[in-house]
Amino acid sequence: MGEILTAGVIEMIRNDRVKNHEQMKPVLQVTELKLFTAQQEPSKERIRVLLSDGTAFIQGMLGVALNPLVKDGVLQPGSILRLDHFVCSEIQKKKIVVIAQLEVITTKSDIIGDHARGRKATEQHGGDSGNTSYEQHGRTDVSSARQINSTETGTSLVGQQRRQVFGSGSGSGSSFEQHGRSDLSGGRQINNNGTGTSHAGIGQQRQQVYGSGSSLPGSYNNPSAGLVRDPPPTYPLQRHQPPPPMYQNRGPVARNEAPPRIIPINALNPYSGRWTIKARVTSKGDLRTYNNPRGGGKVFSFDLLDADGGEIRVTCFNAVADQFFDQIVVGNLYLISRGNLRPAQRKFNHLPNDYEISLDNASTVQQCHEEDAAIPQNQYNFRSIGDIESMETNSIIDVIGVVSSISPTASIMKKTGTETQKRSLQLKDMSGRSVEVTMWGSFCNAEGQKLQSLCDSGEFPVLAVKAGRVSEFNGKAVSTIGSSQLFVEPDLAEAQKLKEWFVREGRSAPCISISREFTGGGRVDVRKTISQIKDEKLGTSEKPDWITVNATIIYMKVDNFYYTACPLMNGDRQCNKKVTDNGDGTWRCEKCDKCVDECDYRYILQLQLQDHTGLTWVTAFQEAGEEIMGMPAKDLYYVKHEHNDEEKFEDIIRKVAFTKYIFKLKVKEETYGDEPTVKATVVKVDKVNYSSDTRTILDAMEKLRTAEAGSSGVGTSGTRDVSSVERREFGLPANQSDQYGNQSSNGARPHGGGGAMSCDVCGNTGHVSANCPNTRSGPQGQYMGGGSYGGSGSYGGGLPRQHVGSY
Amino acid sequence: MDTSSPSAFVNGSLMRRYIGQKVRTVIQVVGSDVGSVVGKSTDDLQIIVKGSPPTTTTPSTYLEVIGIAENENSIRAEVWTNFGNSFDPVNYNELCKLANGEFKHLFI
Repeated sequence: MGEILTAGVIEMIRNDRVKNHEQMKPVLQVTELKLFTAQQEPSKERIRVLLSDGTAFIQGMLGVALNPLVKDGVLQPGSILRLDHFVCSEIQKKKIVVIAQLEVITTKSDIIGDHARGRKATEQHGGDSGNTSYEQHGRTDVSSARQINSTETGTSLVGQQRRQVFGSGSGSGSSFEQHGRSDLSGGRQINNNGTGTSHAGIGQQRQQVYGSGSSLPGSYNNPSAGLVRDPPPTYPLQRHQPPPPMYQNRGPVARNEAPPRIIPINALNPYSGRWTIKARVTSKGDLRTYNNPRGGGKVFSFDLLDADGGEIRVTCFNAVADQFFDQIVVGNLYLISRGNLRPAQRKFNHLPNDYEISLDNASTVQQCHEEDAAIPQNQYNFRSIGDIESMETNSIIDVIGVVSSISPTASIMKKTGTETQKRSLQLKDMSGRSVEVTMWGSFCNAEGQKLQSLCDSGEFPVLAVKAGRVSEFNGKAVSTIGSSQLFVEPDLAEAQKLKEWFVREGRSAPCISISREFTGGGRVDVRKTISQIKDEKLGTSEKPDWITVNATIIYMKVDNFYYTACPLMNGDRQCNKKVTDNGDGTWRCEKCDKCVDECDYRYILQLQLQDHTGLTWVTAFQEAGEEIMGMPAKDLYYVKHEHNDEEKFEDIIRKVAFTKYIFKLKVKEETYGDEPTVKATVVKVDKVNYSSDTRTILDAMEKLRTAEAGSSGVGTSGTRDVSSVERREFGLPANQSDQYGNQSSNGARPHGGGGAMSCDVCGNTGHVSANCPNTRSGPQGQYMGGGSYGGSGSYGGGLPRQHVGSY
Repeated sequence: MDTSSPSAFVNGSLMRRYIGQKVRTVIQVVGSDVGSVVGKSTDDLQIIVKGSPPTTTTPSTYLEVIGIAENENSIRAEVWTNFGNSFDPVNYNELCKLANGEFKHLFI
């Protein structure tokens, strides 16, 4: 279609080969019209036009007589006309075609040629200002260049010696680079979005020229090229290069007002030139204030989804956050451009995109009021609950299911002392599994309440969770995080399917829960023996191991049984950090950064524990310490130091020895200097509940029996425990030892039973004196219970694993 | 306390093995007569204990009795020990079973 227009004529005009109508009457197309008042003749209106010959543009001015044509609409952008009477003059070094007479050949026409780069001419007069801004551009680096958002000087024909700052396209972008000091990521063009004939709308995109990247730099170097290199007729989809600049070293400086080229989110990368994306906001975060070592500030982010399913997060800081926070509404479509692309922060950003957008003052966010059905409301990647079991903890997933039960909100105290809300529910799906979903914070009251009322009314609503985190405690569970979203009864195909399945069979189908019931303690009591700590290398893995042992305190270090602690309250908890003595009677806490007159005394007991398998050192702190010692640390401190009552002190200490408790230990390997050592801390101390203890042991025996018929190892000790526990603690200790003592010293001959071997030492069958468990020098003096028992013949345990074939 | 002869741990059903021999068991008092106490063994069999208990036995306390087993459900008690009210009969029962079965070699 270029044949209609006189191709190449503009170049000739520029080259002075065509000066006026006498040489030629070119047929040109008007791409833009602008009304302005000339500075020289303020009373008159003049119309400026942008003329195209299919490949190049030139500015033109209509004679006043021609104004009515425009006013009547005969002459409009797109019109094709023949210049019957014109002259070409140079104003401020720019070539302008002053048209006195013309004939409109076609009023309405599509823009011909493929370099139509909509230069939006804003109604800005004042080329000077514009020019100066350009000046700035030339000098400054990209970032400031970006500031020139809307001061463009389409009209300014003034001094364009500057480098083209405008630039639609990477051409200008690269011009920056080359001339200037912009960095590559700048292809920051001075884009003027959303003004004038905004091509932002859908379907109004004009073709843009894409110079091939390689040619651009080249072209820079020959300003004589004057015009744009030949643009390829179609732009390659993969490289969304903005079109190269129209003018090279001359021509009006204008902002690049080309219609934004909308690219898919998935094509965004830090090296994209000027880009625009059109997407829907799927989630909007809160405006948060933060404080980190580098300073404080405000931040707010939102997630976008576009027609191709690409998702990306957009973050704004400080002033920019304020600017856009009110503008962004979830569910609306926006056109966003001129943001910075940077690698995504995986810690906070769980979207499937390597990058995230950061907006600044130069960025633009423009709402699209037209709906676009191509862009979905939200995108999910649902996993079935059965899959969750095999997923890694802390992975982020989407899940959908039917709520089978929901519990009321509970208030939980966080470590920092603040309170937060928590609510859990059970979610079932077609995989036949159910999982516990925990909601935190505001979700409890919002969606939580909604779900509760639905459940109370007998319904089983469908819940979709987006960006939930897989957590692990007693099995797997899902919990919400800051950026999670909950959708009750969502309008999705999956929801529909779930509902149907539920009605059909799911309601009654047994569902195996992958999250075991959350017991109060949260931890299953893992019974171990002390030797197992070493044998099984407990504590050496990443996480500490929590175990329970039934053991006796053999020894307690007396030297440092306490430390001076900070009594100040940090929220709800005491600081408890060690305070240093200032010397003058006050104590200083590093953490609270305060001095206190009176410090708190807290236990730090080093205890040696022993059970029938081994010995170990553990440390007990305040709570456990008080239980063991029977008095607060402060009191004990006073006894020792203030009252200097050595005797009483020793008495107390002695009493502690050989007391048996159930200890809940946290075992973890820590590195001191170069050496890693496994340390155990007492988390809780309980008195031995013989009844339940016995049962535990009986269970263990049972397990062992089924595992290995006839093994006597653990069984033996088990038995010993059983009997000793049974007999020992009931009744009075004195009696018992008497009984036992008597029994054993009796050297009674075995009677009844085959009694193949009878021991001379203790009189019991099953072993000989050499193997007699009663010999203290035997393996690991197993002191059990209060008072040593004369090894009443019940254990072969002294000799571990003594297996006697016959009884 | 006469400890010249060791006593085997028994419950109701094991007593028959030791008739005439010294046994020990724990019973839960059900009732008492003059000269004897009726109790329930840890495996829910009735045991009659002859002799006089040291203290008035209230029903549902546990007593350990050591004595000679006269027949499969009565003992002539020599030693009585009050085990109180909180006693786990199940555990004791298991003990008796183990002591007479799998781990007899560890006991008498």
